[in-house]
This record gives sequence, C-alpha cells and structure tokens, in this order.
Amino acid sequence: MRIWTFLVIMVWIFTVAVSTKGEEKRKMNQEISLPSEAGGWKWDGKETDYDSRTLFKYMDGAAELYLAYGFQSLTVRRFEKSNQPPLIVELYEMASSEDAYGVFSFEHQDEAVGIGQGSEFGGGLLRFWRGKYFIAIYAEGEGAEIESAILKMGRAAVNSIPATGPEPKLVGVIPGKDFVLVEKSVRYLRSHVLLNQRYFIAHQNILNLNRKTEAVLAQYLQDKQKTHLLLIRYLDLKEAGNAYQSFMKAYLPEAGGKDRFRTEDRKWTFARQRSEFVVIVFGAPTEADAETLLKATEKNLPRGR
Amino acid sequence: MKAKIITRRDFLRVTAGAAMAATLDSGILGEARAEPTARVVVIRNAEVLGRQDKVQGEILQSMLDEAVKNLLETNESIDAWKRLFKSSDVVGIKSNEWNRLPTPKELEAAIKRRLLNVGVAEKNIGIDDRGVLNNPVFLNATALVNVRPLRTHHWSGVGTCLKNYVMFVPDPWAYHDEGCSPLGKIWTYPIVKGKTRLNILSALTPQFYGRGAHFFDRRYVWPYKGLIVGTDPVAVDAVGARLLQVKRIGFFGEDRALDVPPVHIMAADKTYHLGVSDLSRIQLIKLGWTEEVLL
Repeated sequence: MRIWTFLVIMVWIFTVAVSTKGEEKRKMNQEISLPSEAGGWKWDGKETDYDSRTLFKYMDGAAELYLAYGFQSLTVRRFEKSNQPPLIVELYEMASSEDAYGVFSFEHQDEAVGIGQGSEFGGGLLRFWRGKYFIAIYAEGEGAEIESAILKMGRAAVNSIPATGPEPKLVGVIPGKDFVLVEKSVRYLRSHVLLNQRYFIAHQNILNLNRKTEAVLAQYLQDKQKTHLLLIRYLDLKEAGNAYQSFMKAYLPEAGGKDRFRTEDRKWTFARQRSEFVVIVFGAPTEADAETLLKATEKNLPRGR
Repeated sequence: MKAKIITRRDFLRVTAGAAMAATLDSGILGEARAEPTARVVVIRNAEVLGRQDKVQGEILQSMLDEAVKNLLETNESIDAWKRLFKSSDVVGIKSNEWNRLPTPKELEAAIKRRLLNVGVAEKNIGIDDRGVLNNPVFLNATALVNVRPLRTHHWSGVGTCLKNYVMFVPDPWAYHDEGCSPLGKIWTYPIVKGKTRLNILSALTPQFYGRGAHFFDRRYVWPYKGLIVGTDPVAVDAVGARLLQVKRIGFFGEDRALDVPPVHIMAADKTYHLGVSDLSRIQLIKLGWTEEVLL
C-alpha cells in the first residue's frame, strides 16, 4: 500500500512539473506569435523549440555563434505549399537587443529590405533583428514566388515582436563615412573565437575577450587598401590595462614601449588604451593613416561610465 | 615551457618568406621533393552540364575513365579499374545525399558500371550514405569508393572526402573539436581502415562559400564542371579546399573566412598520417577544359 501511495505521489509531482513547464512555454509563445501563413505557404502546425542544451541537435557546430551572444531559445516553424519547396522560419531569442544585433552583424553581407531594426536579403535568405530577437527565413529551394513569400513572411513575423531595443552603443563610437567605412563590415563581437573568424589575430585569447567585454570590428578603405579597426570595451580600467599589456607582449613585442609597429606586410599596427577601452588599428598603409583613424575613434569615446 | 602563441604576424612572416623563397633557387624545394608525394587528377569538360545543370552521363563516364587511367598511368581505363578492384571484392560506394547538393546519380552509376566491368557481382556493390552502418555491403566491404560533392561545410570548413566518412560512426557530433580535427581518426577504424581505393570529389557545381548550418546559397555555387580524383584522400581534399579558396578570393576579392577553417585536412596528414596535405608535394595532373581552371 505504501508503495502505491508513493508511486501516486511521484506521478502527481511529475505531472505538475510537466504542466508548469508547458505553461512557461505557452507564456513565451504568447509573447511572440509567429504568423501561420504568408504568400500561400501554410504552417504545418508543428513547432520545435531548442534551448542552449539542445541547440546543437539542430545545428551541430554552428551553435557556438548563438551561444556567444547569450542565446536563450530557438523556435523553428516549417511552412508548406503544394509543388513548392518548404519555407523555414527560425526565431532566436537572445539575452539582449545588443546580442540580437551582434548575431545579425556577424554575417551581414547583403542589401537591406527595411524589416525590423536591421535586415538583409540575398540568395533566398532573409535575416533581420528587432528587440532581443533575431529571425532567419529561408526556403529549401529557389524561385521568384518563394522569394516573395519569404519577404511577406518576414514582414508578418516582425509585427509579432512587441518591442524594439537599443543597438550596442559601442557601434556608434567608430568613425563613419569620413573614413570610408565599409558599412557591412561592422561586426559586434563577444568572443575571441568569433573575432578570429572575421579577422584572425591570435589562436589564444590575447585580448581577454569574454561575455562581459564588447568589441566592434570594422573595415575601412584607406588609399584603396583595407585597414581594420578593433575597439574593445572592458569592465574596468584594470581589465583594459591587463588586456592591452597582453596584446602588446604577444603581438607587438618589438614595439619597445611605443604604441605602434610596422609589421611584416610593411603596414602599420597601432594600439592604445584609453580608460576602459582598447583601440587597435591593423594594416594601415601609412603611419599617418593609422594615427588619424585612431584619433578619430578616441575623440568619440565616452568619458567615464 | 610556455607554448608559442600563433598570431596574425606569423602568417605575415610566412607570406613574406614564401615570396622571398620564390625569388631564390634555394635548396628547400630539393628537400621537399624527398618527402612522400601524392598524385591527384583534375579533369574538366565544358559539355558535362546541360540545361539547368543536367549532368550528361556519357561525358561524365568518359571523364571518370580518363581520370582513373591517368591516375594509375595505364593505357586503358579498364586496366586502371582492375588495378584498384578485384572481381571478388565487396565494394561500398560511400556517396552523399544532402538534398541541396548530392552526389550526382550519374556519377554513382558511372562508378558502379566500371565495378561491374571489373567483374564485381552486382549483389556485392552497395551505394549508401546515412545508412552505411546498417548496410550489409558496407559492413562486409573489402573495398570502398569515396565519392561526394565539393562544398563548404559549417562545422568542418569544407565538406570533402575525409568528412564523408563521418557516417561510419554512430556519434558524428563527437568529432567536432578543434575544427573537426578528429575526423581523420574515423579512417583508422576497422570498418574503413585500408579499404578506400578511390576518392572522388564531384566538382561539377562546387559550393565555395556558405553561412550557417541549414542555408544553401545558390550564389556561391558555380559550374566548374570537373572531377578531382585520387587514391590519397588528404591530397584530394587539399586540392579541393584550395580550389574553393581560390574561387572565394576571385569572387569576393579576398579569402572570406569560412565558419570554420578546414584544419582537419592538415590534421589528417600530421596526426593520422592518412596522406599528403602540403600542396607543394602533390603532383596535380590537369586534364580537359582549361578555362578558369583556377589550380
């Protein structure tokens, strides 16, 4: 009898636990209500959700990108239309709007289509962000009809996201058009692994990047040559100082206390620490070019926190 | 002792050094020639793709035959096939069925046709991808043909011959560390070890760039109309990876970074000793259509 009572209690506890979890899920789904139809493509009625532990099942090795930007959850819906390839909607909830911007910026390469706070559409892939959400929509095939449906789906999906959110402030600090900024090259980064994927600096984390630091990488055209600017904000002066010393020791050991060195490609690398910021210019064609870009960045840095 | 930190400047030094070496007739190349080498055939035909990239089976068959003949240096292609396979062999053709860019059925058929010509019994020939661990031909195979399309891949940088054997393990995700460097380990397992007689990359319409796990971008696929063939999987992959890299540089004006650098190819050479990854030690035989061959 005792065993039966114990089993009944256990089943009750389990049932309550499952329903609570289900209610939480419904709450999240109530917040974002993805469209069920667009351009003749209809939702197949199934929805798959992933968290940080299960994301690898959906995308194998690509999960690191999202995890680096404070990934919270992913919802995937599939839409179908007869005699047409299926259409997939991926809704990513990130830790903050800055993180959603970061995911978007990391692979940004195509033209904007005016959806959400930042968007691009090319090759049949629509990517955009709004608030703390990043959305990717694509089809498992090509064609004008489905491309039109992807855009319709994007416009419908963006309306389901209730609020906008700020871009990373750090992005506003880097110099703009006066320095021939390559707009689509601006990346907001939160890990050295991702930094290396866009601009390899060192196989070890010599700039001490982590989830609490933020970095902006951008490309400029100087004398028709590519120069890269890396701006990093650390938690405090001490962390910035340690990272600056670590970088100089590993990357510019010959600088001899100076903030610059002409590297093997006969281009200039400059690095400076200003308060909790570290600013580095890579590959400037002349010393003067590097100095000008670096000073323009320093001028924009906020004073105090 | 502290491990050396590899920085961007190490690559700048190598580039500067390579440029210098090219201007000097130094003894370095003489030393390199003493190392083991590999032989890879790249064959192209401008007519192999018809309307909407429809593969022309007969032309593809002749490309394959010509490639194998030159690879093995025989007068007739059937002699080359007979050097690779015995009539008593049980042969698994490890294909790739990713729906956006699968191994062309015509290429699978061309391989199977020549195996039959060698005398291999039809019941002893299997073509499979994701089902190899449950396929009796593959479980009893005495020989393997490794054939797949050439493309970039989100977790191994490039999807080439080495990567194609990931279906021979029940836990593919366990081979992700360090840019999939452990992929070479799979080739040391009994189910495949020493069995691969031929490695073929279908470069008819290779994909030279991509983003993310699921998205296939038609803009980054081009009609190269070629096959890359060799007995050394590392050398075949090194040539394939180089082709994609050269195409990226031509298309983007720079070597746009992949999701992951294809470090597993070098690891297959240096760690698992499966073949030659150094392009300077690979003898590349180029046959057929030469326009924009890129290699």
